[in-house]
Amino acid sequence: MAAPAKPAEPELRRSVTPWGSFAWGYSDVGADIFVGLGLVLAVAAGASNVAFLFAGVVYVCIGLAYTELAATYPVAGGGQYFVMRGIGDIFGFIAGWAVLLDFTIDVTLFAWSSVDYTSQLIPALVNSVHPWLHFIVVLGLVLGLCLLNVIGVRESTAFNGFVSALDVMSETAILCLGFLFAFRPQLLIHAMQFDWPSPYQLMLGTSLAIVSFVGLESISQAAQETQRPASVIPRTSVALILTILIFALAYSNLALGLHPWHPIVGPHGHPMQFWQIFPNNADNQGKAVALLAAQVPYYGAFAALYVPVLGAVLLLISSNSGVFGSSRIAYAMSTSKLLPSIFQRVHATFRTPVISIVFFSTIALVELIFAAAPSLFPAADALYARFFRGESGLDFLADLYAFGAATSYSFVFLGLIGLRLSDPLSPRKFKIPLNLPVMWRGERAEFPIVAVIGFIGIFSILLFTLRTHPLGRIFGPSWLLVGIVLYLIYRRHRGLPLFRSQPRNWKKEQIDILRRSGELELMDEYVANLKASEARRNASAAPP
Amino acid sequence: MMILRGALAAAMVLCGIVILARMLEAIRAGAAILPGIVLGAALIALGAHRLSLIWRVRRTS
Repeated sequence: MAAPAKPAEPELRRSVTPWGSFAWGYSDVGADIFVGLGLVLAVAAGASNVAFLFAGVVYVCIGLAYTELAATYPVAGGGQYFVMRGIGDIFGFIAGWAVLLDFTIDVTLFAWSSVDYTSQLIPALVNSVHPWLHFIVVLGLVLGLCLLNVIGVRESTAFNGFVSALDVMSETAILCLGFLFAFRPQLLIHAMQFDWPSPYQLMLGTSLAIVSFVGLESISQAAQETQRPASVIPRTSVALILTILIFALAYSNLALGLHPWHPIVGPHGHPMQFWQIFPNNADNQGKAVALLAAQVPYYGAFAALYVPVLGAVLLLISSNSGVFGSSRIAYAMSTSKLLPSIFQRVHATFRTPVISIVFFSTIALVELIFAAAPSLFPAADALYARFFRGESGLDFLADLYAFGAATSYSFVFLGLIGLRLSDPLSPRKFKIPLNLPVMWRGERAEFPIVAVIGFIGIFSILLFTLRTHPLGRIFGPSWLLVGIVLYLIYRRHRGLPLFRSQPRNWKKEQIDILRRSGELELMDEYVANLKASEARRNASAAPP
Repeated sequence: MMILRGALAAAMVLCGIVILARMLEAIRAGAAILPGIVLGAALIALGAHRLSLIWRVRRTS
């Protein structure tokens, strides 16, 4: 009697449309500017736009790398999968572990900032006035999101799309009307000439500016659920990358050259430029876009009412993506035997990865306590002031966020270079421009020059982060170190290679990935490439 | 809808050109105009990207 057929493993349904794919990425990356703008203006002052420009150029390189990788390998694992496949298991683990740090920070940072935006309408939530209330509300949001994810309630793609569309329209209106009615180029030039920061402050600002561009993992997560990802992902990603870049550059230029609708006066009655309300004012830093929108002539009266709400909702969606994304990445890492199988366990009733969700939400809560401690306890405030240059709250979270992002993105560039050389036969419907033809192990490959430029850029941001963030340089590497130790213990326990990769049949897996994603033409092309390569090898091995 | 999207994309290109032109007027400010130049170029690129997508859809339908 024949053995019963093995039931097929459940797969994610491919139901995300091109707009859905854009909205998925936008709700994740688009929210970042709501947090990043105030932080960068506070430290980089007259060079804020330059800080955003540098981080933006690096971000474009990262975005292009993710686009190529997600279109070629449409799987949900994201950065850790590309790195693991390109340069090996342990590096894949480090990249994935850094992404997990980012996702846990994402939960706390965006929940915190969501409350900051709400405080624009409900002054009782201002952190410096009622720190305990602020803390309790953020805590409630994180616990609520954790619970919603455990019972499996997610915001719908339609809701994501609606909020994203509303936000794109709102930000476009703010920027257009702002440039039209309130922008004075002389103010911009003046700020850049007379308020240029020190090199240290510029490094700090640049490392914080990368915060505005984090979340590109969503491109690869969307790829797993998008119809015909190889065709759709490049189209939506390029639009997403350019939209985010334009918003970041436009906001920073507008903020520096903004002539406020209502005059802003300093403590001694002197008139101030708009951007000058951010240094040494954490409350303002947390809601920069709402403050800027309110200063746009005429439209500001209306924008002051809805921008805080829109910002709070978008930030909450982004915070939720942290809870959801961390559990999904942990699941993917566990499937690849980079993390213990406990992270694959799903709840019997709700069918959600409950252990992953609770574990990473708990880490997010610990980060929240570290961030909020100085505002809650005077003793902690003195301690932070002495050892960490007084960094706390948003600064603390942004430190770690920048560290995690810079680390994982550095490895993604290396993964891209590795995959270009080790897997030249996979059809790439989208390829980063500027490539150098090389011969590698008997195959013709293309070496991506942009990946090298991007790596240098993101690695320098990582160095800026380590140099300028007293908390980031302690907690970030500690997170990685703890992760590597746990990884080695786990691999040893399972009898898997510690520093080398376990053998895998990537060719078979690639055919399977392309078949499952519905890219049958690409699958045929890949099979034909494999056959042609084998024929070439046989011909060269045969005696003359 | 397609016409509206096309008009928006064309407006983006136009905005980009205006920003580039205004930045080039202030070229004496040196490196200070660089972020504005990139902003203008990105707007033109996004508008052109959207126009090319619309053109492709119209050609295939």
